[in-house]
Amino acid sequence: MIDLPKKPLPSVLTIVGIPFAILFSIYSFFQIGFNLEDFRTNLQNRYIVTDPLFNPKWSWAIENASAALVETIQIAILASILGCFIALPLSFYASRATNKNSYSYFLYKSFLNLVRTIPDLFWAMMFTVAVGLGPFAGVLALIMFSLAIMGKLLSETIDSIDPGPMEAAKATGSSHNQAIFTSALPQVLPNFTAYFLYIFELCIRASVILGLVGAGGVGRIIETQRIFLRFDRISPIVVLILVVVIGIEQFSVWLRRKIL
Amino acid sequence: MKIPSQPWQHNAFKFGITFLIVISSIWSASGLEITLERILDAPRQIGILVGAMFPLDLSDEALDRIIPKVWESLFIAWAGTVIGAFFSFPISFLAANNTSNGVISRFTKQVLNAVRAFPELILAFVFLPITGLGPLTGTLAVGVHSIGTLGKLSSEVIEGIDEGPLEAIKASGGSKLNELTFGVIPQVIPTITSYWLYRFEINLRASAVLGVVGAGGVGAELINQLRFRDFPRAGTVLVTTIILVLTVDTISAAIRKRIIQGKVNKN
Repeated sequence: MIDLPKKPLPSVLTIVGIPFAILFSIYSFFQIGFNLEDFRTNLQNRYIVTDPLFNPKWSWAIENASAALVETIQIAILASILGCFIALPLSFYASRATNKNSYSYFLYKSFLNLVRTIPDLFWAMMFTVAVGLGPFAGVLALIMFSLAIMGKLLSETIDSIDPGPMEAAKATGSSHNQAIFTSALPQVLPNFTAYFLYIFELCIRASVILGLVGAGGVGRIIETQRIFLRFDRISPIVVLILVVVIGIEQFSVWLRRKIL
Repeated sequence: MKIPSQPWQHNAFKFGITFLIVISSIWSASGLEITLERILDAPRQIGILVGAMFPLDLSDEALDRIIPKVWESLFIAWAGTVIGAFFSFPISFLAANNTSNGVISRFTKQVLNAVRAFPELILAFVFLPITGLGPLTGTLAVGVHSIGTLGKLSSEVIEGIDEGPLEAIKASGGSKLNELTFGVIPQVIPTITSYWLYRFEINLRASAVLGVVGAGGVGAELINQLRFRDFPRAGTVLVTTIILVLTVDTISAAIRKRIIQGKVNKN
């Protein structure tokens, strides 16, 4: 019989963490008021939703929602383009490789983190108060949304660029900004394009729900019908949205393959 | 010295893309009646709003209202993630093409795609008439959406495993079930656990928003305070949410790093 090595003891993280996670789960379910009996009783109400949900009113949806759907797409296009282009210079400031000043690096990095912490719909609520109800608030909210994601992804990409070309540019006498423009930017441009298309897809999905807080787009129509429980009008709108979202995703996948 | 010029097809394609971006932004901006002045004025407008939030309303009355709602968002996110993890784990074995057969795998993947396509908020207001106003609705919405996303991610992890241990188990006479429990699960569990935690971070943001439709959590508080123009209190909601999200992100990211990289030797 060979002498097998002893199995090491599980780490403290496992010993403490797993029971803690289980206890916290039980506590959470208790806190949200989950009760199987109530749930079963309430499930009998499902016909309020399911009956109209599966009897969609197509003509109503196409007539009333197509204009708002176009608005949704416009919000997403404008916001992702503006947000990503604002994020482009910010990411160079928020990367160690291109910003040697640790104070301003820290400042830009924390700004991007702070923006990323606030959920998209919170931005939308704040902008509807600041600039009024309507699609403009939605555009601004999604600008912040795409700015934060692009800033994070791109600055992390810039962190890992090859410093060689920048050194070469500096050796030939270019300034710091010139070195960034000619040597760092071309290295991350393909990533920028890929991230842009990804963020555009996220924006299309996010712009659908902006209308729930009055920030424009097709969500506005969903919200008004939801209040009256007109699920027969909501379900065709949701299907229309899914068709548009999937169509745009396919287009973006095609474009990405073409570019990269 | 003669520098070769770039092939013209390349330039034409670049030009086409630039043209597409410019045209689509002009089309969007004119359709939404957005001008450059309005955009440039926006930072000032949001500055006024944020300025009105300070000093924050930290009175006992405000905190007694807000803090329980913030905790509720945390519970919704956690319970939703547990639902997602619990159901997506077995489903992901059906969806991965190396642990199930081709037809079942393709079918399960399509189902997961369909589930994933609905945003949490849309799910929330479909559940709302059934489960009522409150955190249970939010939890179900977050949970169902998480089944879709976690199922997809986990099945991709399972598809990427090393087949060697499975062969070794088969060679020593192990059954199909033995292959799963001793070959597949030990390989995938660290990555899948870290995906669960990552999903928890995303779900926390989602559950904070869900209050807008009355599905529990801190979102309802924010929209109410903004509607009543009680900006200091809205500011308190915002700041407490930011603190919670940042804390959870930091802890969860540290645990994920530890799970994926293993124990770091000090010496």
